Amino acid sequence: MSFLRRNWLWFLAIAITLLIPFLFYDWTKGRHSGFALTLMSEIGVMAIFALSFNMLMGQAGLLSFGHAILFGLGAYCTAHVMNAVKAETVWLPTELIPLVGGLGGLVFGYLIGWLATKQRSTAFAMITMGLGELVSAAALMFMTFFGGEGGITTDRVLDTSLFGVSYASPWQVYCLVLAWAVIAIVLMRLQTMTPLGRMANASRDNFERAQFVGYDPQRIRLLQFMLSGFFAGIAGALYTIIYEIVTFDTLAAAKSANALLAAYIGGAGGFFGPILGTIVVVLLQSGVSLLSNAWLLYVGVLFIVMVIYAPGGILGLIMQHAPIRRTGRMRELALPYVRIFLPAVVLMLGFVLLVELTSFTTIGAAQGKIFKIADTVVNTRTAGPWVAALFSLVAGTIWMRYEFRIFKLTWDALMDDAKRQGLVQ
Amino acid sequence: MEVFVVSLLNGLVYGMLLFMLASGLTLILSMMGVLNFAHASAYMLGAYFAYTISLYLGFWVALFLAPILCGFVGAAIEMWGLRRVHKNGHIAELLFTFGLALIIEKGVQMSWGLLPVPYRVPALLDFPLFSIYGTHFPAYRAFMLLISGLMFGAIWLGLTRTRIGLVIQAALTHPEMAGALGHNVPRIFTLVFASGTALAGLAGVIGGNYQVTEPSMAFTMGPIVFVVVVFGGLGSLAGCFIASLLMGLLQTFAVVLDYSLADLLRVFGVVVTSKTPFAEVLTVSLPRVGALLPFILMVLILVFRPRGLMGTREA
Amino acid sequence: MTDIAIRLAEVQKSFGRTEIIRGVNLAIPRGERHAIIGPNGAGKTTLFNLISGRFPITSGTIEVNGQSTAGLAPQEINRLGLSRSFQITSIFPRMSVFENIRCGLLWSQGYRYSFWQLLGRQKGLNDQVEALLDQLNLSARRNLQAGLLSYAEQRALEIGITIAGGADIILLDEPTAGMSHSETEYAVALIRRVSEGKTLLMVEHDMGVVFGLADRITVLVYGQVIASDVPTAIRGNAAVREAYLGTEAA
Repeated sequence: MSFLRRNWLWFLAIAITLLIPFLFYDWTKGRHSGFALTLMSEIGVMAIFALSFNMLMGQAGLLSFGHAILFGLGAYCTAHVMNAVKAETVWLPTELIPLVGGLGGLVFGYLIGWLATKQRSTAFAMITMGLGELVSAAALMFMTFFGGEGGITTDRVLDTSLFGVSYASPWQVYCLVLAWAVIAIVLMRLQTMTPLGRMANASRDNFERAQFVGYDPQRIRLLQFMLSGFFAGIAGALYTIIYEIVTFDTLAAAKSANALLAAYIGGAGGFFGPILGTIVVVLLQSGVSLLSNAWLLYVGVLFIVMVIYAPGGILGLIMQHAPIRRTGRMRELALPYVRIFLPAVVLMLGFVLLVELTSFTTIGAAQGKIFKIADTVVNTRTAGPWVAALFSLVAGTIWMRYEFRIFKLTWDALMDDAKRQGLVQ
Repeated sequence: MEVFVVSLLNGLVYGMLLFMLASGLTLILSMMGVLNFAHASAYMLGAYFAYTISLYLGFWVALFLAPILCGFVGAAIEMWGLRRVHKNGHIAELLFTFGLALIIEKGVQMSWGLLPVPYRVPALLDFPLFSIYGTHFPAYRAFMLLISGLMFGAIWLGLTRTRIGLVIQAALTHPEMAGALGHNVPRIFTLVFASGTALAGLAGVIGGNYQVTEPSMAFTMGPIVFVVVVFGGLGSLAGCFIASLLMGLLQTFAVVLDYSLADLLRVFGVVVTSKTPFAEVLTVSLPRVGALLPFILMVLILVFRPRGLMGTREA
Repeated sequence: MTDIAIRLAEVQKSFGRTEIIRGVNLAIPRGERHAIIGPNGAGKTTLFNLISGRFPITSGTIEVNGQSTAGLAPQEINRLGLSRSFQITSIFPRMSVFENIRCGLLWSQGYRYSFWQLLGRQKGLNDQVEALLDQLNLSARRNLQAGLLSYAEQRALEIGITIAGGADIILLDEPTAGMSHSETEYAVALIRRVSEGKTLLMVEHDMGVVFGLADRITVLVYGQVIASDVPTAIRGNAAVREAYLGTEAA
């Protein structure tokens, strides 16, 4: 099979991501939607970040609470270099700027990794947490490198492009981000199939056994940490290019938490899980946060639901269907899925309405907003909406439990069939 | 001298507050291996519950009721949440408590609003107890010391003199063994988790009006409590106690000692100017980096002595 | 290259105040199949752990292929040519059977910490893995997640990972533990095959396996060697019988 045919899925994905912004293209004015492009670029950057995080969590079994340090430090380094290029003290093509971030991430990855990887798992998590808090607090205090509270600003129009592109427009930036995202993702994917990548999995599965096949697991962890820092730094550099300002929140615990959420929700067990999770988290963050004050609550609830019912993330859920797909009886799940989809929608609507009403009563009203559902103004002081929301929530839950029991029967029957056919692996 | 004594007293107060928070977390972490991100959220809930209860029933009822409410919340979390997640591993439990912390913070914002609430020291205790070198020492702080001291005594007695206390001590260092010996470990877990949460709630009741009661207080207090737990070491309440006092004193003294590394170097005849490399780091004064000190200590102890001050096993 | 594969001289190990190994002397020549037997709690696994570097020795010396193992980390001892299996199966449960064996081969084939070589392309390496899987009779299970194998298959995989690196000194800790009679027969044949020309040190409780495989047997009781001889001599040794059966039977 030719290279093109073997990797058709990759090419399809690239094509789709190139075409999506055109769905929001303003044909009358001949302009791209800035919002859509920034959102897509954000997804690209955070996807690289989340994947680099999963090199530690999913691949090597290391939970780092300070991964944003590598992202942020890469971003700061890039900002300084970009300013130097602008001042013409240094020359570097714009297209290669992300490598600066990568290099920064690599170096700091070595320094931090050297401290952290000597520890076993919980101590490792705590050290990364402590270092994370340290560096993000330091960023607020020191002016020379971090620019204090104001951060470091820069300009991405550097006139050093290899292709003569100015990168003034969001579309050009998006293409740059996409190009680097493809490069980074491909490299990270290939890395999982190298000796280091495999032994990282091995040391995650069994630290001691890895020793007894001749490897030093600490060395494996350090190298994996450094490589993960390299890619996190690239993500940070792309961030700098997009937003042209780097502040302390690129280092903050919230940023690290973002990577964790994205990786876990998407599914830390497979390679592409974090990409799925990033899409979900960024959409929630950028989309829902515009509509609702309580988006962080929804993230928390989603998170908890996944931790309890779907610890393998979205990818894990999809993979669970694999044996049934192999029996060729997937279509028998179609109706059951519709049947649990309906009560799920009712349940969620009730929950969302309740949350929004509460949030509005305490926060929104004080801010002088009006509660609207699709252009209809709703008076939150009457009992009506509250009763409706509560009813929807309770009824939805009861209905859901009933339907889920039926769904489970179908599922179990199909899985038994798969087991009998020896298709379960 | 006066600064020293006043800071000493304030540091003790803060340290004891930290201990109330950290002791519950040490117990939970040592016994159940769960890094409970929602622990500081219980602190916050305690403060908010106390505020609301004291509006209708007065401070003294709140002092009693709020921690109990927090305990119930803790028990509910353990029984219906943690236990289900336990089989998915430690990371899953940790993530669960993390999601919980997010939800609780948002829930608090939605219930009480974004701004700090006026949770005040009760009028009965709002007077200067005594004066040291012209600075008043508020009676409320003495009250805080009293409550935390009583709590410490109660924990110590409970752990060393009761049967369940002995089992908990055993489970602290050897959880599997305690289970193998036939003790109802799940019930003990629920008890420990609920007690730890209640303790954090109590800390919130007395600390909420000492500090500011606002929705972000959980995320501000949280990391420091972790530092104390790590510094003190797993499986050791004595280590936790020492670490809490140490951190409390350290942070309080750091605020009043207006020196920097440059001042230290000057003693040795080295002068730091604005051209010296890392001048910024050397000239930053202690009060400004006060918030950083606990984390520097945590990193140091994890590098040089991972089991903490008095930990019985490595984290 | 020395004649003696493993030499223990006055090896003593205490955990706190509890002395587990009380002065053990042992010299195992290259190519010998040696079994260590003894009642439970005698310290057999501890001895293994000392030799393989899992625990440090309190006093005495251990030499592997003529080199002292003092202060060496387990992976460094492994690189001296010693490999071990574990009493409680120690494999890589979330990786496939094929990957498990391949991981066992990587270091010895010189791959080190490379993050630029794609394993899928390494034909020589992958062929070796296939050959080993064939020897272990696990070829049909090559893509299965190792954690899903049956117990006996996992034990076979354990042995496979142990010998994959081509170590010339093999330590097997209760390799047939928990196996049925036919599974044990199979395992013994496998062990005999893979230890051909190598030095084998084995802890075992199954006397049939011991007497069938071993060239020499050492009996360890309460951390001390009470006998070390050829199987027939051990069988007739009064002290050994006493240790296992008590004084009345002796």
